[in-house]
Amino acid sequence: MSQETRVAPRVTPSDASNRVTLGWSHRLLRRPDFAAAVAAAVILVFFLVVAPSFRSPDSIFTVLYQSSTIGIVAVAVGMLMIGGEFDLSAGVMVTTAGLVNALFSYYLGVNLIIGAVISLLFCLAIGFLNGYLVMRTGIPSFLITLGSFFVLQGANLGVTKLVSGAVSSPDISKMGGFGVLSSFFAGSFVVGGVTVWNTVIFWILFVAISGWVLQRTRVGNWIYAVGGNAASARAVGVPVRRVKIGLFMTVSFLSWFVGMHSLYRFNTLQAGNGVGNEFLYIIAAVVGGTLMTGGYGNALGVAIGAFIFGMTSLGIVFAGWDPNWFRTFLGVMLVLAVLMNLYIKKLSTTRKVG
Amino acid sequence: MSDTSTDNTSISTSVPLVQMTDVGKSYGAVRAIKGINLTVRAGEVTCVLGDNGAGKSTLIKIMAGLHNHNEGTMSISGVETTFASPRDALGAGIATVYQDLAVVGLMETWRNFFLGAELVGSKLPFSGLRVREMKEIADEELRKMGVVVKDIDQPIGTLSGGQRQCVAIARAVYFGAKVLILDEPTAALGVKQSGVVLKYTAAARDAGLGVVFITHNPHHAYMVGDHFIILKLGQTVLDKRRDEVELDELTRQMAGGDELTELSHELKALGGMTNAIRTLDADLNIK
Amino acid sequence: MHLTSPRRLAIVGASAAALALMLSACSSGGAQSTASSSGSSCKGTTYTISMVTHEAPGDTFWDKIRAGAETAAKNECVKLVYSADPAADKQAQLIQTAVDSKVDGIATTLATPDPLAGSVKAATAAGIPVVAFNSGIDAYKKLGALEYFGSDETLAGQTVGDRLTADGIKHPLCVIQAAGSVALEARCAGVKAKNSGTENIQVNGSDDSAVVSSIQAKLTQDPSIDAIVTLGAPIAMDALKSKTAANSKATLVTFDLNVDAAQAIKDGKIEFSVDQQPYVQGYMAVTALYLYLKNGNDLGGGGPVLTGPSYVDKTNIDKILPFAKNNTR
Repeated sequence: MSQETRVAPRVTPSDASNRVTLGWSHRLLRRPDFAAAVAAAVILVFFLVVAPSFRSPDSIFTVLYQSSTIGIVAVAVGMLMIGGEFDLSAGVMVTTAGLVNALFSYYLGVNLIIGAVISLLFCLAIGFLNGYLVMRTGIPSFLITLGSFFVLQGANLGVTKLVSGAVSSPDISKMGGFGVLSSFFAGSFVVGGVTVWNTVIFWILFVAISGWVLQRTRVGNWIYAVGGNAASARAVGVPVRRVKIGLFMTVSFLSWFVGMHSLYRFNTLQAGNGVGNEFLYIIAAVVGGTLMTGGYGNALGVAIGAFIFGMTSLGIVFAGWDPNWFRTFLGVMLVLAVLMNLYIKKLSTTRKVG
Repeated sequence: MSDTSTDNTSISTSVPLVQMTDVGKSYGAVRAIKGINLTVRAGEVTCVLGDNGAGKSTLIKIMAGLHNHNEGTMSISGVETTFASPRDALGAGIATVYQDLAVVGLMETWRNFFLGAELVGSKLPFSGLRVREMKEIADEELRKMGVVVKDIDQPIGTLSGGQRQCVAIARAVYFGAKVLILDEPTAALGVKQSGVVLKYTAAARDAGLGVVFITHNPHHAYMVGDHFIILKLGQTVLDKRRDEVELDELTRQMAGGDELTELSHELKALGGMTNAIRTLDADLNIK
Repeated sequence: MHLTSPRRLAIVGASAAALALMLSACSSGGAQSTASSSGSSCKGTTYTISMVTHEAPGDTFWDKIRAGAETAAKNECVKLVYSADPAADKQAQLIQTAVDSKVDGIATTLATPDPLAGSVKAATAAGIPVVAFNSGIDAYKKLGALEYFGSDETLAGQTVGDRLTADGIKHPLCVIQAAGSVALEARCAGVKAKNSGTENIQVNGSDDSAVVSSIQAKLTQDPSIDAIVTLGAPIAMDALKSKTAANSKATLVTFDLNVDAAQAIKDGKIEFSVDQQPYVQGYMAVTALYLYLKNGNDLGGGGPVLTGPSYVDKTNIDKILPFAKNNTR
């Protein structure tokens, strides 16, 4: 495809624009989500062929639901990775969010809505702390958030045990505010006989917002810049510290959101849950074309990454295969995605113009 | 941001754009520079020469607002100033093009052009970028400088070193810089690319900007410079106008001056490598 | 963009190192140790007993074991030191630590007998009595443990299989919530032994949404599934949601109990539970050691003391529900 750009006719000097239009294949290949989209299409067709029960709209929406619980947090994790940082605490923070809400409201006897707000503030504070420590100390975010991962994992168990005497949160379904919150965070509606969970709608909404912010706003420009080259970004006046702290807080916001969903769908939460999900978010982002080193990726790609995750995790079940192989499949997908991304990035950024 | 052109009419020789008087800077116990006097005037190129570790970077960082000086004074257009951040310096019209060019390789050329000063629809935090306008302006400004990129959407990392340098210069000029600091712009470039960059440096000077040209190549400096300062170990060893100095003297001072002459004699006494020493002598004008 | 600059490499290197660190930390995660001294009614403690389990942090099941053990310790004025780690080598290390600190008795689970054998033998060699509980029914004697308190997982599975077959169930789905657990595999194998239509499914037990979706997907894929067997009470609650979502009429049965599951049995949503009475396991392990140390008593007549399988269904739930709420059943 590099040939196309070379043989493109040169415009005459009198032309108003000296630009030439590059071939559509080149433009398409340059999209971070291209490889993921192709992979998703292949996997989708594959499961449609081999798993008859996959073909119903119900099944597709079950897959979308499963994808959305990973995908919502992955939206923020992807943005954070584009901004050049990691957050390993996102998985347990989902559980933390639910526990804070449940324990606070249950044991102080306050309305769940107030508990949810307290939980939100708490999560945002942790996100801020993550970002602040990373920016202040210069220690890689990998290590800082690994620290907060362990702190939260321990505190989830310790505090829950201390307050409730058990390692799961009390049932909150009889408390004030439950109806409103559960119909918002964990509601579903039926369209044409198909159950659609609210989280799927929220997921699409968050992906759209993230896409808009990344591609079409000043903040988005800054996110790519701080991830691609923080020193350069700082030199041209981008407030690197504020952008990165904001990204960490976005992750904690969406972790809170999914935490609310888990709490209000299941009424109680096991304090040990959520561990390991942080990797699923990162995998979704990477499979979706986000560069591990930052500065490259987009919202749609991350969404496709989460969709691939949901599709394979349930597709194997729909096909009636032994789900023990799922993780193996996931690992292979990840490696292929990374290789594909590397190849495509090389292809699209090699110098073609002298 | 629609006011794109620098003000050509108000070139004034009376008030320098930047005036540094006896400026010094210590990092803890280490004194990086001391007693530096430097004047930047509109429409002039001031060359700062020096070997690695001579204090050039420290000098730039003070002007660019990354560090503060702790001795002497710095006046911007006659007003004594200490910058709090790079944003401050930019606000005062001092733009710096660093060696790494402060561009983000994976981002599109037009996004790089406007990075940190994007055109937005409104003051709201997440209002849309005026993408089409930004692309058009970036393309036009680049063509003004004679740089034609095939596609303004291509990642800037795919441009050649000289082109990237020119994008960085064009960006500074467009955003109304009065003073342009170029940090070793030709260091990593081949002969032809260097020539291109020197041409744009001259173009920026002719557009009425005050240019600070940092380099360790006296040949490049002499081609565009109006004023030359040579730093050594944080202090000024030469400070002359173009009509007071010859290229030979710059070369000799840069190459190490008397010290190197001495070294050359010592090597001669040891014998061998005569060709190399002869070349060195020629460079140093030792007769 | 300097992808290969030394700094960038350094960051990548550091990240890789951190990943390695984290992976090793993950596998060692969950080591915990708490000492609960006897209640205020005791004048000094009689013995120090160390309890070591393979508890994965955050499972409600282990709460009951600990509650039983702590009550026994309080009643008998025993100082109880509890520690746990799901990784076999770490658990062996914890037993070794107990031996080194010269406790009077050790109560341990034997989910992974082979890696633990060395430490258990070290304890018996040092003259410290060892009692096994919860898991290891086939191995405890060989390792030199005195007694065993727990359920026979295979037997429990077979009982479930028998009962399902008797109810005319043709195609049960056995849900395994943790990969590679011998005890959980044994339960499902037991079910399959008595009901050959049994199919296993692996789910991610640490993510409720994933559990619900996976079971739901399976029910949609195979409408012939007429029973769901879950191996833990929280998973049963998730399976209820899957059933509703998939519009399935499958019978739901579960292993173990918690308050929600007990309530669901009362409401008729769960057919029955096969309980192994973890509270009793913890209580008896500590008590047996106490009796052995004090009087040389021996329980079980040379065989294992079974705490299960114990049926909980509509017929006896009214009696059991209050105890479940009390965390003692």
